[in-house]
Order: sequence, then C-alpha cells, then structure tokens
Amino acid sequence: MNAFEVRNLRVSYDDFEIISGIDLDIPAKTCFAIMGPSGCGKSTLLRTFNRLIEINENARVSGIIKLFGKNIFEIETSELRRRVGMVFQIPNPFPHLSVYENVAVGPKFNKMVKNKKELDKIVEWALKKAVLWDEVKDRLRERASNLSGGQMQRLCIARALALKPEVLLMDEPTANLDPISASKIEELIHELKKEYTMVIVTHSPSQASRIADYVAFLYLGKIVEIGRVEDVFENPKHELTEKYLTGRIG
Amino acid sequence: MDKFKISLFPNISLIFGIFALMLIVFFLNSLPSIQKFGIELYTTNVWKAYEYEHEERYGLLAAIYGSVYTSVIALLISIPLSIGFAIFVVDFAPKKIKEPLIVITDVMAGLPTILYGIWGLFVLAPFLRDYIMIPLYKTFSYIPLFSYPPTGYCYFTAGVLLAIMVTPFATAIVRESYRMVPRIYKEGAFALGLTKYETTKILLKYIKPAIVAGTLLAFGRAIGETVAVSLVVGNTFNVHPSLFAPGYTISSLIANQFGNAFIYDLMPSTLFAAGLSLFLIGLSVNLLGLQYLKRWRYA
Amino acid sequence: MLRKLKNSLFLIYIVLATFLVTLPLFHIIFSVFINGFPVILKAGLSFLTETLPPPGEELAGIGPAILGTFILTFLSSLIGIPIATLAGIYAAEYPNSFFSRATRTLLLVMIEFPTILVSLFVMSIVVLPMGRFSAIAGAIALVIVMMPYVAVYTEQALKSVPERYREAAYALGLKRKQVVFRVMFSIARKGIVTGFLIGIAKAAGETAPILFTAGGAYRTFFIGLDKPVGAIPLLIYDLVQQPYSNYHEIAWGSALILLIVFLAIFIPVRLSVREVKL
Repeated sequence: MNAFEVRNLRVSYDDFEIISGIDLDIPAKTCFAIMGPSGCGKSTLLRTFNRLIEINENARVSGIIKLFGKNIFEIETSELRRRVGMVFQIPNPFPHLSVYENVAVGPKFNKMVKNKKELDKIVEWALKKAVLWDEVKDRLRERASNLSGGQMQRLCIARALALKPEVLLMDEPTANLDPISASKIEELIHELKKEYTMVIVTHSPSQASRIADYVAFLYLGKIVEIGRVEDVFENPKHELTEKYLTGRIG
Repeated sequence: MDKFKISLFPNISLIFGIFALMLIVFFLNSLPSIQKFGIELYTTNVWKAYEYEHEERYGLLAAIYGSVYTSVIALLISIPLSIGFAIFVVDFAPKKIKEPLIVITDVMAGLPTILYGIWGLFVLAPFLRDYIMIPLYKTFSYIPLFSYPPTGYCYFTAGVLLAIMVTPFATAIVRESYRMVPRIYKEGAFALGLTKYETTKILLKYIKPAIVAGTLLAFGRAIGETVAVSLVVGNTFNVHPSLFAPGYTISSLIANQFGNAFIYDLMPSTLFAAGLSLFLIGLSVNLLGLQYLKRWRYA
Repeated sequence: MLRKLKNSLFLIYIVLATFLVTLPLFHIIFSVFINGFPVILKAGLSFLTETLPPPGEELAGIGPAILGTFILTFLSSLIGIPIATLAGIYAAEYPNSFFSRATRTLLLVMIEFPTILVSLFVMSIVVLPMGRFSAIAGAIALVIVMMPYVAVYTEQALKSVPERYREAAYALGLKRKQVVFRVMFSIARKGIVTGFLIGIAKAAGETAPILFTAGGAYRTFFIGLDKPVGAIPLLIYDLVQQPYSNYHEIAWGSALILLIVFLAIFIPVRLSVREVKL
C-alpha cells in the first residue's frame, strides 16, 4: 500500500519552474527521506503533499498526487491537512499560546472533540507520543516560547500528532537544533514510523541514512535517484548521486 | 476568489466609496461658483458677500497665496532643522537620549493640533511680535518683506507654527532613510580621511529622494492644517509680500467663513471650490511624496 | 583649517537644530500647565462636571465637552475600528491584488489628507439633509479620519508576523478565517491594539473634522445622537476666539485636560512599541 503516489508533478512560481516532472511512490508506514542540496525544490515538493504550497498566490501546481488512492486535489484542504500533518524547519509553536493550547488548537478548531475532558486526553496522549509529557506536564500553562529549542520542536510534533494524522511531513526538523536535541528527534522519528508514514526533507545524507527506509535524491527539481536507503547509499546508480553522497555537491 | 476575500470586500469598497464620493461632492458643490466666476475665482482677490446673488463676487487668490506662502515659510524653517535633527539622532546622540528624542518628536506628531493653536495664539505670536518682528520692522521696514506693521498674527507666525508642527513628520522620514544608509558608505568616506561634515554631505546626497519625499509630505501636512493656523494667521483678505501682514489660508478661510456661509447664495459653493483646490493640491503632493518614498524604500 | 572650522560649525548646527526641534514641545507642555493648572485648581472638581458659564467672572466647568468627546470617540471607534481592521486584513492577506495595492495607497493618502475637507464633506452629506449638527455627523467625520490609521497599523502588524506561524496554522487544517482571526490576529495583537489606540487618540484630539459636523453644545449635556454635541478641542477653539478672559482661562484648563488625556493614551502606547506612524 502506498501512502502517496505522485505522477508528473510540476510546480512553478511566477513562471519559474521549481519541480519539473516528478514521479514517486511513498510506501505506508515507512520513513521516506527526500534529500538534496539547498534550492533543489525539496521543501516545495513537501509542501505540495498537504497543498500548503497553495497559500502562496503565485504558485502553480500540475500533475497528480494520490493519498491512499485518492486525488488530494479533490480533498478539501482542511481535511487533507488534518490527515497529513507537518513539522517545520524552524520550531514554530504559536508564541501567544500556552504549551497546552498549542497542542489543543488543532483538535479544537477542527471540532474533533466534544468537551474539555476529551481535549485534555488528546493533549496528554499527543505530548506522550512526542516524548515531551514528562518534561512539560507541570508547565502546561506556560507560554510555549519558554521551552528550549528541542522541546519546542517536539511540541510541534505533538501539535501535529494531536490531529491523528496518517502521514507526517517533516521539513528539516533538526536543522535548527543542537546535536543532542536533534538526536532525540531522530529517535522519535524511529518510533513514529511504526504507526505513521513519515516523509522527511533533509539536506544531510547522513541523517537520511540514519532514519530513512527509502530515499529520493532531488536535484534541480528532478529526481535523480530513488530507492531503498541501503541500495542508494551503497550502490548509487547515478554519478550525481555519488558526488552528492561524498560531499562534492552541497 | 475565496469566500473570505469576498466577505472583506465591502469594507474596502466602503473606503474607496467614501473617497470617491468626497471627490464628487466637492466637484459638484464647486460647480455653481466656478460656472459663475470662471477662472477668476482662483486668480482674483475679492470677497463681496451680499445677500443678492447678482452682487456677490468671490475670488480665492488671497487664500491660495496665503496657503502657499505660509507652507513655504514652514518648509524653509522645517527642512534644515529636520535634517540636522535626524543626523544628530542617528550619528551623534548617545544611546541614552536617542530614544527619548524620538519619543519627543512622536509625541509632537500626535499632539492634538488645538494645543498648538492655543499656544500659538497666546504664547508664540506675542513672543515673535515683541522679539523678532518689531525689531526687524523698526530697522528694515523699507524692505517689502518686513514692511507691514506687525501685530503678531500674520503669515510669519503661521509659518513658524506650521514648521513646528510638520517637523516631526519630515524628520521621521529623513531619519528612517538616513539610518538605512549602508554602513560601508559611511566607513568608506571616513577611510578617505573626510571630516564628519564632509561625510554627512555625501550621505545626504545618497538619501536625496527621501528628503524630497519628506519635503513634499510636510508640505501636504502644512497646507492642510486648519485650526492652529486659523488662530494665528490674522484672517484677512490680503495678498501682501510682507511676512508680517495678516492673511488667509484656504483651510482657515473655510474654517472661518463656512459657519455662516449659508445665508449667501454662492459662498458655500465658493468655499467648496476652495476645498476642491486644497483637495487636488493635497492629493497630488501626497501621491508624489509617497512615490518618492516608495522609490527610496524599494531602490 | 577651513575644513576643521566647517566641521565645528556643522556640529554646532546639528546640536542647535536638535534643541530647536524639541524645545516647542516642552514649552507647550509648560505653558499649558502654567496657565491651565491654576484654573482647574480654582474651579475645583466641578470643572469636570459643570456646564459652561456665561461670559464674565465664573469658571464653572466643561462637563458637556468632556462627555461629548467621550461620546464622539466611542461612537467613531465603534463604527470605524471594525471596518478599518477588516480593510487592513484585506490589504495584508492579499498583498498582490490590484485592489490591495490601491487600498494601501489610498489609506496612506487619507492619513495625509486635510481633515477640514472631511468636515465639509460630512456637513454636505449628513448635516444638510438632517437639517442640524449632530453627534452622529461628528462621529462619521471622525470615523473617516481615524480609519486609515487603524487600517494601516492592522496591515503592518499582520505583515510583521513571521510566515512560519501562518504556515503552521494552515498545516493544522485551519481555514483562512481561523488562521487570520485566531492565530495571526492574536500574535499581532500588540501592533493592532496600538493602531486602535492611535485612532482613538486622533478621534479624541481632532478639531477640524467636527468643526461643521458636531455643532458644539456646552450648556447642556448630551441629549441625543441626532442633536448637537460638544467636544474639548472644539470648545477650546471656540473659546479662544472670544474676547472674554474667563473663557480664555477655561480654554487653558480644557487644554490641560486634553493634554493629559492625550499623554495618558499616547505615552504607554509609544513606550510599548518601537515606532509609531502618525
């Protein structure tokens, strides 16, 4: 079963093509890494999976993306985004809300709960899932901006999980964290991929090799190579891939 | 078009509608007077308010002349001071007084204009009369500029008061752009061994569009200011070269005459025609000023 | 030698300029206190509650003007703030549309616009048809004056919210309306409230817009939205043009009250944000 099937995807901003014809399949409940040098279009690609790209008025998307067999352009955006959660490069918990409210905001506005009790339960569940509960259970009313960078990022993961998504998109989730916080996030990804389909964008091949089952190498808006991690890393079929993996493109 | 966008649309339309309606109202109400007096409405200085229409005659020259005269005085005083102040705040002010200085000008920019008015009327005008105008008049009355026996309520006082009122706006624009001059220009000039004065002179050339913008926007403010000016300008139909002569400005003419204009046939229309000229002058000066500002900001 | 001399003159000049630019504010505040404080002291608390006396010796009070300013400010905020806020949201949310760009330019032009013209305009479309000056006409004029400030502040406050929070909100499945009102608005609330307060300060302090609209009533308290109403700035303007010395005293006392009201709104706002646009 594939979580995503992408066919002939093209994305452009103001006539400038960022993604030029991409085909790829992402198997369910695996961790799929999209790697490539900066500017290759990987963040743009990720943002088409939940149609977040569309909040930019100048973006044009064509092609087909199916989520578990259903065309995502026929799913209402708010429903799609509920099913496909996202975590960003810079930890972005809402600065005006408390730790609790940050996790609660999704279920609340999407009317997923009937009462405060249910909401409390979801919040606790999501924070536990993100391995943050023990650290914040006494600080739920504090502003989220008081947390450390690593805690903020796990809060963002909890916020995404609270919507009970099927897929979790992560856009360089450790790029702005210290190494210890980063490794905690990587551990968490290992746990989460047992239940969720994870799609992770990274500019670091070594991170991709540590966390992913499948990997796609994206360069100048095209997929150069795609496959199981061990195949791509041990036997790159393409010269560009080899150059990238050995640090000669970056 | 999404629903949200459509739901916001009435608000935008309302603001545009008000503005368009304003232009229409001024234009339509001006018509009778413009039709009756033609171009002479704007080129002659007459004010014959009679209750019989055929004897009424109006010409707005005194007010237009006064508006331009007082605004020019204001700019001549204000712009050099605004630039000096901006340079001091950006380059020389110690950290401790930098912020307070900016707060002071911000307070001045927001201060209710009637406070400038009452101060101008009871404090500034007598002061200028006793310490500046009378001495100048006594020594230089043969020069047309100083020729009118001073009462204190005249173009000059209005100009000085306007200068005080528009300086905070002008200096904010100059200061913001002066602050944004890239460091390398400053360092480069110092590296050439130039003095602070010479360096500043070069940097000012660099922000010339912002100075032009500040001047234009300050002019727009000055020419539109009403209550403070009307209390000190003397309110007399006059086209006089002397700084010390009393006069009118377009806005003070409206403020002074509109209240009882409706007992005459053509006076309301004439005052709307005065307003229309102010409308058009203000609109073009401000649009031009904003254009310069934009050019500077996105250059 | 000449270069050094020029440089010194330049330094003297900019210090002098700074002094001259800031001096008037202190002198205005000083004058208003020196002239206004004794008046209020003499008239006592009833200065705030009593009605305007006849020309002569008495000071009595400016109660109707204070109440009138309050009513006009309240009414104009009630009408103006929601409309202007939504217009500001439009300009911020759809920055590339033609209408949005036109709106931004229009708002900036309206900020610079001579307010006496607003007075004339409202007189001809509200006062003349109604047949008299009224609180509602004054409020409408003030709405037109305050709206551009509120809208511009709202727009700039929303635009200053980092894009990442917007993305996060959308990524949680929130609808555009929820993103704007529940997330962006709360994050930008400081800037937006600043705009509200600047707009309110303008409405309370302006004279020209209400000159031919509110009408002024100082011997009776508020008697209805469709009846004339007074205001502190308008009262000062009327009083200083009359030849009676007790009226001049009352004008100074009123000026002190207006100054205090203005500073009480403006100083906290100004100190809580880095820059204001007026």
